[in-house]
Amino acid sequence: MRCIGRSVVCVCCLLYVYSANGQQHNVNGDFSNTKFPEFVKNVENGNSWHFYYDEAALDSFIINTKIVDKPLAEALNQIFNNTSFHYSLDGSGNVFITKNSILQTTLADDFFDPGEKIISKEPDVVQDQNGTKEKTRPIFTENKLFEIGLKSSVKKNNVILTGFVKDIKNGEALPGASIYIDSAYTGLVTDQFGYYSLTIQPGNHILEITSLGMKETRRRLLVYGDGKLNIEMQDDIPTLKNVIVTSERRSNVRSTQMGIDRLSIKTIKEVPVVFGESDILRVVLTLPGVTSVGEASTGFNVRGGSADQNLILFDDATIYNPSHLFGFFSAFNSDVVKGVELYKSVVPVKYGGRLSSVLDVSTKDGNDKKLSGSGGIGLLTSKFTIEGPLKKDKTSFILGGRTTYSNWLLKTVPNSAYSNSKASFYDLNIHISHTINSKNNLYLTGYLSNDNFRFNKDTTYKYGNKNIIIKWKHIFNNKFFTLISAGIDNYQYNVTSNSNPVNSYKLTYDINQNNFKADFTYKPDNRQSFSFGLNSIYYKLSPGSFLPYGSQSLVSPDILQAEQGLENAAYLGYQYNLTSNLSLNAGLRYSMFNYLGAHDTYSYLKGIPKEMSTITDTSSYGPGKVIKTYQGPEYRVSLRYALPGDASVKIGYNTLRQYIHQLSNTVSISPVDIWKLSDRNIKPQTGQQISIGFYKNFNSNNIETSLELYYKEFKNIIDYKSGASLLLNHHIETDIINTKGKAYGIEFLIKKLTGKLNGWLSYTYSRTLLKQDDALAGESINNGNYYPASYDKPHNVNFISNYKFSHRLSLSLNVVYSTGRPITLPIAIFNSNGSQRVLYSDRNEFRIPDYFRSDVSINLDGNHKVKQVLHNSWSLGIYNLSARENAYSVYFVQENGLIKGYQLSIFGTIIPYLTYNFRF
Amino acid sequence: MKYSYILFSALILIIIHAGCKRQFEPPALKVDYNYLVVDGVMVNSIDSPTTIQLSRTRKLSDTVLNSPERNAIVIIEGSNGENFQLNESAPGNYFINHLSLNTSSTYRLKITTASGGQYLSDFVEVKTTPAIDSLNYKQPDDLTIYVNTHDPANNTRYYRWDYVETSQYHAEGNSEIGVNNGIMYFRDSTNQIYNCWHITNSNDIITGSTTALTEDVISQFPIITIPQNSEKIGVRYGIQVKQYAITQAAYLYFQILKKNTEQQGSIFDVQPSQLTGNIHSVNNRDEIVIGFITACNVQQQKLFIKNDELTNWQRLVLTGFCDKIVLSLNPSNYLIYSYPDPDYTPWYFVTGGLVVTKKPCVDCRLQGGTNIKPSYW
Repeated sequence: MRCIGRSVVCVCCLLYVYSANGQQHNVNGDFSNTKFPEFVKNVENGNSWHFYYDEAALDSFIINTKIVDKPLAEALNQIFNNTSFHYSLDGSGNVFITKNSILQTTLADDFFDPGEKIISKEPDVVQDQNGTKEKTRPIFTENKLFEIGLKSSVKKNNVILTGFVKDIKNGEALPGASIYIDSAYTGLVTDQFGYYSLTIQPGNHILEITSLGMKETRRRLLVYGDGKLNIEMQDDIPTLKNVIVTSERRSNVRSTQMGIDRLSIKTIKEVPVVFGESDILRVVLTLPGVTSVGEASTGFNVRGGSADQNLILFDDATIYNPSHLFGFFSAFNSDVVKGVELYKSVVPVKYGGRLSSVLDVSTKDGNDKKLSGSGGIGLLTSKFTIEGPLKKDKTSFILGGRTTYSNWLLKTVPNSAYSNSKASFYDLNIHISHTINSKNNLYLTGYLSNDNFRFNKDTTYKYGNKNIIIKWKHIFNNKFFTLISAGIDNYQYNVTSNSNPVNSYKLTYDINQNNFKADFTYKPDNRQSFSFGLNSIYYKLSPGSFLPYGSQSLVSPDILQAEQGLENAAYLGYQYNLTSNLSLNAGLRYSMFNYLGAHDTYSYLKGIPKEMSTITDTSSYGPGKVIKTYQGPEYRVSLRYALPGDASVKIGYNTLRQYIHQLSNTVSISPVDIWKLSDRNIKPQTGQQISIGFYKNFNSNNIETSLELYYKEFKNIIDYKSGASLLLNHHIETDIINTKGKAYGIEFLIKKLTGKLNGWLSYTYSRTLLKQDDALAGESINNGNYYPASYDKPHNVNFISNYKFSHRLSLSLNVVYSTGRPITLPIAIFNSNGSQRVLYSDRNEFRIPDYFRSDVSINLDGNHKVKQVLHNSWSLGIYNLSARENAYSVYFVQENGLIKGYQLSIFGTIIPYLTYNFRF
Repeated sequence: MKYSYILFSALILIIIHAGCKRQFEPPALKVDYNYLVVDGVMVNSIDSPTTIQLSRTRKLSDTVLNSPERNAIVIIEGSNGENFQLNESAPGNYFINHLSLNTSSTYRLKITTASGGQYLSDFVEVKTTPAIDSLNYKQPDDLTIYVNTHDPANNTRYYRWDYVETSQYHAEGNSEIGVNNGIMYFRDSTNQIYNCWHITNSNDIITGSTTALTEDVISQFPIITIPQNSEKIGVRYGIQVKQYAITQAAYLYFQILKKNTEQQGSIFDVQPSQLTGNIHSVNNRDEIVIGFITACNVQQQKLFIKNDELTNWQRLVLTGFCDKIVLSLNPSNYLIYSYPDPDYTPWYFVTGGLVVTKKPCVDCRLQGGTNIKPSYW
């Protein structure tokens, strides 16, 4: 926009100012349908008045009034009555028109104090409108009136406004940014590419845009017709305030979604974690409703769901094992991660296939303006990331890698089996985004992780994820766009052992899936939006092969048959704003799963427990033959009703289905756990959840509070018979029993977003109860009554905080408390059938001691000069400050004829750490 | 980029114990639950007695091997009004000979403890156990004994077995001389101590079912596997296999009891299952009572195996480390035995003297067996 010379800022230079009095001529005239500039011209003409005003703000201000011989002050009173404009007059005939606040025409008392700069030096902001670029200051960008469409052809009906919301610094798209129109309780959130499409009435509007870690901004619009507006947002870093999530400040109140937690990578990086390696999953564990069985386990439980019921997506690629080093580290390099979203209630209709939650980890887009990078060095890991444009403003890349040198840690373990062990891992990420034209974008993401753990010189565990996905975003028109993606996901592990040449073996397992997704969004107008699409996954699992290793090995080979499955789903979602207060989000997803040949399957006698001895028949199916089909609808409904005073109430209901199951009868997920498809004998898991939430923000949205209640039921959860063997089992169904369950809870969260002290405090009361009363299981648990799941921890308190002493120095403190995990104890011994036997308590009748931990870290940033080559930061922390020996597992061994119990703690001592991070 | 060489000089020495093990004694383990345990079968056979064992559960830290429930009144009640009282033959062992039950009726166990606790089992049917068709063994290296049976009525379906093993062995040396009040005498076949028999009861739970088969046939079901060269068959070995017909509920109970025991002492990862028996407290329905009572006739068969029938199976190993001390005898009464060390006993006479040796060398009973030849031997 043209910068008006008569800017308000100039006022500050005035030295002698008097308040206005009427030495001038009065104003006369019949101003009907007159634009303000015309009025100014009229008044200035023949007077010594001189008007100072923001043309952008006032050029569309229409005056419709008749003024009869009034002093200017009175005339202006009449014109600006009931508007947000104010005027000030000084003694020199200058008139200042301002919006919202009255300009002080007298100086402050301390005006002549030296050293204070009055004119703020904000960095320049680029505003991109209709393809033209202009440099201006953000304050003007916010105040400028953007004209959308042609003035000459004003549309009567709704018009559509589209565009991208981007980070001004590196052009990175900002997904999840919220756009609100005219402070009404309507708005929308940008999609994963920062794209938005808005339907509004022609006329004046104000858009408010907020996004994770970005400065809140606004745009004033005068809309005539369809158009495009790209919005660039400023990073919040320069002020070092509001570091935690300024985003979704109102979106938690206003959006129709519920049970969703968003974390920015900045928040994640501030939370102290063991060994100082920023760990996404450990921070996710501090969110209300998320628990785990213990430290050093990467599996997590959302609202009472088991760990395999979480769909973990890394840029839409499915990650089957999100951990390194048996759960010590999560498999995500925090430097390439943009943010994390966890859906724990009403999962968006485009997702499916898991029962409890969707954890959506999104990668950063590379900097498309200049080459830059970052890295970090910690006690156990190092990482390095580089990003930059391949073609400026068109194609950018980001490449990140991470590795470990944790062998020294194993050396300190006083057990020779561990000190002779070696551990290594790495992960690599690449993400390329390419803009073909304004309607087409391409994205490519690759991920590779690998772990190699050699235990006691002879047994080697290797496991890793491989993922690649390509996405194409196409905009048909302002109302209709699509995202099509295709990808391959792989997880494999192998165990080799050569402790004895005769017994040497190699055990391998892998899972492959090919994905295809097509998502479409259609927004006919601003009150409604449709989303629909198709998902397709082809699974191929090699459930295990056990082969001799080395020429002397006498191990007899044992190879399980490969499994194939095809999961297809079609969905339709509809969002409708019934009134400005009430909006509805409804979705239907229909999924179908085919278990495919080639495979031989067993039939069992009906009506009695499945056992080896009850196999009646073996059926062979050829390649591609459908062995079994499961199908069913899934419903996703939520309603939001806005209450006065930044508050709302939401209610949601959803159902989900899951066709792939992780088999694990150890306490926590281990890398050698296997996944199993639903087949003739194993039914899909199904679940439903109803939830209600109350949301209220205080202190101009700086403090968010929420209260969510949920009740969940699930069926056909997999549990195991006593002494089940899961590995290399040719008839796994004989060791599996179906369980059903229910979970309920209340989650309370208070979050402070800005100020020196920020962070959150959450309290969750939740119960997860399972019930196994299937007569065909052959054994019942606790007489078929409900019993607590092994991750049922009723009370959970998480306190995450960060206090900024200055822009460079901050202190973070975590306090975590939870009830101990339930366990089953042997409680007595007795003699029966000629032998001494053990009596166990009811399943999960007792609990291990409560968990408590506090961590602290000090984060020191180097200076913030923009021009320096390397920006440094240090983080010094202490994990488990109170050195509490939290029990991880409890086990019993027979020693000298007596049964003795032991508890094992993973991090039973203070663990200090130091990490160094840099970026350039 | 040229600054990307980073100097990282902060070295911090930390001692981390990757895992800390500590004793864990939850209060639940210190409680003595003292639940009643009922073990046994109502045996509907003229030739086999019925023994019901009553005991109490013990704390995990208890060192006593058994805590029998004494002085209880144990009665088998029939739905047809029959009553059979059992008598305590040994502490906690309640015994009745020649129980004759009516297979068209059902029976239950009624227990009244000395402290007044009343317990009742569910009424159970009297199953009819088909005869054992055969026992046999196979031995490539280790030896496995198999049972074969069938029910022409296709009615049994679930089976349980237990067994009594008898294993003959002998002492290092054969002493025919005994000592009674300092006077030596010659032993005969009624008090010999060279040949002994170990008699052991099975401590496994062995169950089988034929539900997947069209006919109720148990074919070559393994009962026990004896590792190659085991001393059990050092001389001669005999096994008496007893077969019981059980109900499906009993079958499932024994499966769980077996699995729960197998995992005792391993890392506490795999979940144990609940043991639900068919005996309940009359006064308190929630009180846990362990045991599953069944009723049936018992069928038995014996199998004998001699060491020399087997291939690659060594005979009883003799150590050859028996020291020999030669005593000169009292010429006036050479049958007077006066060697002061009580660990020694006479072995054989030599010219003008007596060879003595340590008792275990010639007394097979000191290795735990009995010198009384079983009736079936």
